[in-house]
Amino acid sequence: MKTLTQVPLGTQVLFGPAVKRRRRLERLVFSIFSRWKYEEIIPPIFDYYDVFSRGMGAELEEALYRFVDREGNLLALRPEFTSLVAKTVATRLQDRPKPLRLCYCGDVLRYEAPRGGRQRESFQLGIENIGGERIACDAEVIQVAMESLQRVGIDRFQFNLGEMGFFAGLVERFGLSAQDLSGIRRLIDLKDPVGLQAEVERLRLSPRQREVLHALLHLTGNAETIDDARRLVSNEKSLSALDNLAGLYSELRRRKLADHLTIDLSEVRGLDYYTGIIFKIYVPGLGFEVGSGGRYDNLLKNFGCDLPSVGFTFFLERLMALPLKLR
Amino acid sequence: MSNTKQSEEILSVALSKGRLQHATLELLRRAGVDLDPSEAGSRKLVFRDRSGRFQFFMVKPVDVPTYVEYGVADLGVAGWDVLLESEADVHQPLDLGIGRCVMAVAGPRSTARKNYRELSAVRIATKYPRITTDHFTRQGVPVEIIYLSGSVELAPRLGLSERIVDLVATGRTLADNGLEVIEPICEVSARLIVNRAGYQVKRRAVSDLIQGLAETAPRR
Repeated sequence: MKTLTQVPLGTQVLFGPAVKRRRRLERLVFSIFSRWKYEEIIPPIFDYYDVFSRGMGAELEEALYRFVDREGNLLALRPEFTSLVAKTVATRLQDRPKPLRLCYCGDVLRYEAPRGGRQRESFQLGIENIGGERIACDAEVIQVAMESLQRVGIDRFQFNLGEMGFFAGLVERFGLSAQDLSGIRRLIDLKDPVGLQAEVERLRLSPRQREVLHALLHLTGNAETIDDARRLVSNEKSLSALDNLAGLYSELRRRKLADHLTIDLSEVRGLDYYTGIIFKIYVPGLGFEVGSGGRYDNLLKNFGCDLPSVGFTFFLERLMALPLKLR
Repeated sequence: MSNTKQSEEILSVALSKGRLQHATLELLRRAGVDLDPSEAGSRKLVFRDRSGRFQFFMVKPVDVPTYVEYGVADLGVAGWDVLLESEADVHQPLDLGIGRCVMAVAGPRSTARKNYRELSAVRIATKYPRITTDHFTRQGVPVEIIYLSGSVELAPRLGLSERIVDLVATGRTLADNGLEVIEPICEVSARLIVNRAGYQVKRRAVSDLIQGLAETAPRR
């Protein structure tokens, strides 16, 4: 029997200076969002399970808090905002001029062991840019993220930039089952050459295919990485992913933001709905990424409206763990 | 989490005390890390190399993945057994090839001849509940885990369980207790692990160390 004074694992309460700090952080980041004309949206805390489960990937799908209402509908608490923003735009705001610029701040719930500064209930703060031009909007979203960090006093940060299409094109012709593919993806994510070797042997991949996968583990660095990657592949999908990445890189260089970039094609972990560029944000002094984002061109199709989109989110608890300047 | 301090200049490395300690220090030396023998290998728990590029700390093997996941250490050396057992979300870019042994199901000779797949459920005493559960459930065999934190080989003798899952190096401890290997589960050796953010932010220093260790690590 639980007593009333116990707390359920994964909840948190803020009070005193922590609240002030947190509200100030939100305000400062929002001031950057609104300077870029991002309009706040407050979506519901729950929706139908299917709204979230599509395109989420098995790992996060397991972490959904789900429940049944009295009519027997399967519902879930929101584990992220992007699906809800996408649904709202697709069903109600589709006629607005593009790109639509929306931002949000609020709690998300995931049934996972509390770790890495995140409880089961945690806070996210982010933007979605919907229906605009590809490279210009990708660059804008990254610029907004960088300016937000600078606004709260974080000047040293690193954005790791990848492209989902590169890996997708690479393995397309391997003829692997979804399960085997996710195994390979996991090993690349762990940067584990030993496990990868055992797996490619088990799957009887050709020597050329093995070589490409092992090379992928090290495909990270400056702009030259894109050229290295080009020498590795011949399929159209991967090559167009690299063109896309190169285009974005030069656009960011034009905006004088390239110093903060690392090209990382070995980055293959992300929500399943990402289709193009993805990025993770690292700050020296913290063992976890403080934010992540990417392009999700197919997500709105689920809700009956075909618009390309890109966005990012900050993990607020992790930002709060940094020495910030909140004036 | 608020104290996860990583300074950019210095790489901090968590090392496992005990079984892997000696071989790890030896490997680091061969990889060009200039360790002072009066510090490394002494009872000091925290020490630097002579160049000051590295800070090392010796911790309990099971804690290494935790220090690395949270970024208190940029890198760590931990046994594959420990890594499999922990849920730590870290990169694992190198098999160091030291501390080789086998994770195995073992039991007394009489038990070894019986096929456990024909039992309705298997009872196993072990320090490795996750590895054990995974091994048996993957074969469709229900398993009851009896968690012990040490001297697992005594369990069959004392009647706690007929079988155990444990690390086997030479097999002598098993033999001394009248046990033998029933089936191997996986090979185990020490791995280099790296914090996800540290891997990105301190890329050059981390790759240099990986490179150095890769060149000297014993091959399979």
